[in-house]
Amino acid sequence: MSSNESNSNSKELLRMAGINKYFGKVHALEDIDFKINEAENVGLVGDNGAGKSTLIKIISGYHRAEKGQIYFEGKKVRISSPKDSRALGIETVYQEQALAPDLSISRNIFMGREPATALGFLRKRVMDEESMDALKSMGLHLRSPNINISTLSGGERQGVAIARAFYFEAKLVILDEPTMALSVKEVREVFNFVNQLKRKGISVIFITHNLHQVFIISDRIVVLSHGKKLADIKKKDTNVDDLSEIIVRGTIG
Amino acid sequence: MKKSGLSLILNYNINTPIVFVAIVLFFIIFTPNHLFIDLRNLASMGKLIPDLGIVALGVGMLMICGEFDLSIASLIPLCSYVFATFLMKGVNPALALIILLPVGAALGFINGMIVVKTGLPSFIITLSTMMFWRGVVFILSRMAPISITKYIKPYPYFEKMLTGTIGRFPLQVIWFVGIAIILGILLHFNKFGNWIFATGSSKGAARAMGINTNMVKTTCYIIIGVLCAVVGTLQTVRLGSFFATQGVGFELKTIAAAVVGGTSLRGGVGSMLNIFLGILIIKIIENGLILMKVPVFGVEAFIGLAIILFVIINNFIQRQMT
Amino acid sequence: MNRPGEKNSKFLEYFFNISSLGTIGIFLVLIILLTFFTAERNFMQPDNIRNLLFFGSEFTIIVLGAGMLMIAGEFDLSVGSVLAFCSFVFVRLFAMGLNPFIVTSITLICGGVIGMINGLITTKGRILSFIATLGTMMFWRGITVLVSGGIIMPLDTSGFKFFTSAFIGKVWYFFPSQAIWLILFTVILGLILHRHRFGNWVFSTGDNEKAARSMAINTDKVKIICFIIVGFLVAFAAVIQTLRLGAFSSRVGTGWEFKVVAAAVVGGTSLRGGRGNMLGIFIGAFIIVVIENALVIARLPYEWTYVVFGIIILFSVILDLFIERSRKKVI
Repeated sequence: MSSNESNSNSKELLRMAGINKYFGKVHALEDIDFKINEAENVGLVGDNGAGKSTLIKIISGYHRAEKGQIYFEGKKVRISSPKDSRALGIETVYQEQALAPDLSISRNIFMGREPATALGFLRKRVMDEESMDALKSMGLHLRSPNINISTLSGGERQGVAIARAFYFEAKLVILDEPTMALSVKEVREVFNFVNQLKRKGISVIFITHNLHQVFIISDRIVVLSHGKKLADIKKKDTNVDDLSEIIVRGTIG
Repeated sequence: MKKSGLSLILNYNINTPIVFVAIVLFFIIFTPNHLFIDLRNLASMGKLIPDLGIVALGVGMLMICGEFDLSIASLIPLCSYVFATFLMKGVNPALALIILLPVGAALGFINGMIVVKTGLPSFIITLSTMMFWRGVVFILSRMAPISITKYIKPYPYFEKMLTGTIGRFPLQVIWFVGIAIILGILLHFNKFGNWIFATGSSKGAARAMGINTNMVKTTCYIIIGVLCAVVGTLQTVRLGSFFATQGVGFELKTIAAAVVGGTSLRGGVGSMLNIFLGILIIKIIENGLILMKVPVFGVEAFIGLAIILFVIINNFIQRQMT
Repeated sequence: MNRPGEKNSKFLEYFFNISSLGTIGIFLVLIILLTFFTAERNFMQPDNIRNLLFFGSEFTIIVLGAGMLMIAGEFDLSVGSVLAFCSFVFVRLFAMGLNPFIVTSITLICGGVIGMINGLITTKGRILSFIATLGTMMFWRGITVLVSGGIIMPLDTSGFKFFTSAFIGKVWYFFPSQAIWLILFTVILGLILHRHRFGNWVFSTGDNEKAARSMAINTDKVKIICFIIVGFLVAFAAVIQTLRLGAFSSRVGTGWEFKVVAAAVVGGTSLRGGRGNMLGIFIGAFIIVVIENALVIARLPYEWTYVVFGIIILFSVILDLFIERSRKKVI
């Protein structure tokens, strides 16, 4: 399966139609249509306040849209809480909301989904072994499942968060500014992790400010501005300069 | 975006003034013989309220920038002790007060430094400093009160200025209102006040805008320290003596006053006028219930309840507004 | 299979961390100092030790719960007042002639309900826990004094020898029953905190509540349960204490809220939540108990306790901060 081209025949995974979101009087999202297919990698770009976070929070169940419908795998769904979103197979990796710094890798990976005995006691050995395996399949080789997240580098932390989505066989992974404040080498690592996801057929929504990055990693790019969708183009049909033109000018062309 | 002066000062919170009016009416009607509104009662309240009130204004301001200070309960007796000691050594009380102000400022500075440098929750830090200074006061004074009446006799003007009365009207009220006005102007119309709101509302955003949040917080602590020195002096002159148990319970009451005055516990929300009214509400409830012969601990239970209710109500209103 | 030595290190990992070693160290140093430097060496006398265990058990039982709550990121300052209130409930019900086990059960439920109220106010009312429990602290203390009239009420437990010995009697002629209960609670709560799914939720909630929420952990429920546990343990301590004292006094528990927090902090619990361990909390509580006891033996005026506790909290909090910062540097 070609991993860099969006196959127009591939199945639709998530479709959002006519999404509108208000915060008090602020019209945060206006008639947004958003679609992503299986095994597709979509970059979501736009300046601050464009509505990217809001859109994502609706997909992951933190917010609810006032108007609009969401379809997952062809069926209409209601996502009213993070639990619903997770149940569908959607995993979100937020910057500050992904990992607990003072907990170990294995406790983080299994947070909320801990393998346990009937009485609820943790199966530590399962947790430790499985988490090491999950990391290895990402290409992350860390000392031990019991070291704290706070001792890991930024790139490694993203790796752990992504490994978690990978392990729990998410169908869609949303990465919110995953490369913020990372070094060049760490950014490369994160791209590797994202490619692992692609290889497993997992769709990815990649939110970023960095147009160069989004070009490397995405199949298709969606531009938001002031709550409206400005553009929805396949990577091969555009380039970085055109994209920045769109964002700055607010219009197409 | 220019907002009208009054709505700005009230920070869009009008339930505090409403409650204030309601409480006053309640006690005017329901205290035996309407004792509440009796001039003697009002005069006596006028003497007592500024003790809590002056320092509560500072505590409220600190809470707007996102921190707490429990140590006032011990800083007040400490400043009082220093003042009394100066008097005993024959120092002119006005001079003593002037020296005491920087002492209070230094104590506040210590609190502020520890809080901003460690980044730890301020209520624990100031809890510890409160305990520490309380112990110091107890040890230094050996729990013995120090009477200052004879030391203050040669300086009647000082005593009159601080605690005298015009007719029945106690002068402390003027000090209280004056400080409230000064702090209110600072908070609502001055750049520094804006920094306070910004720091409390979002420290990260404030920092990004170039505001030195550490300095803002430390300054608020210093202001509280100075206010403690003022209150310590005021109380000592009024009571005629230093007591090691001065200020006990103030740490909770000032927070209660600020909270009843619509100050958000998370910071970023509050108004000096409402804090002022909140102080009055708390003391009026205390006074009113006592006049109605409710046992003292019943009052305490009520204040505890009031804190909770008010925070819930304020939170609710906040959420309705966004 | 585990590599040699790994099984032991796993056990250590569950129950220890750097802070814990520090706590144990402080404790041992304290014991040694006190043994040698108190007048006539009366610190280590059996009478004194027994006193320590009696009072210490009551206090430590509460700290176990409060510490776990702090790991979840919240505080309960109402423990002292609730202690008094539950004590009152216990004595009153007893005086009404009900079966002692029923009386105890009702008291424990009472404590749990009060804890639940604290939890609900904090989570549903969206109030910072220390303010909410500050309010409930004032409230319950006020209520207790109000309904009891501030007088001391004696407790007549003659005729219930088995009952009293279950709580405050002696096992094997030396170990106080309270100590047995204490160890039982420590083990149970330790297992829950470190080896149970719920414990992982507690740590997650305290360490990064947003992350826990996004992992579909019901953080409100986790906190409420922790509050209920605290309330239950406070009620239990009230039962033990009232039986020991033989009476109810409305002044019990005053100042405990601060000591409880100090104990947890000394035991390596982070004030911001997400870090701590049950063994450390246990030892931290005993350090506080020992220090207070030492102040009494050394015949230092009671005023000194404030200075000492103030310094202790500050010191351990700053020490903990340094440890945290130096650990982060090791990458």
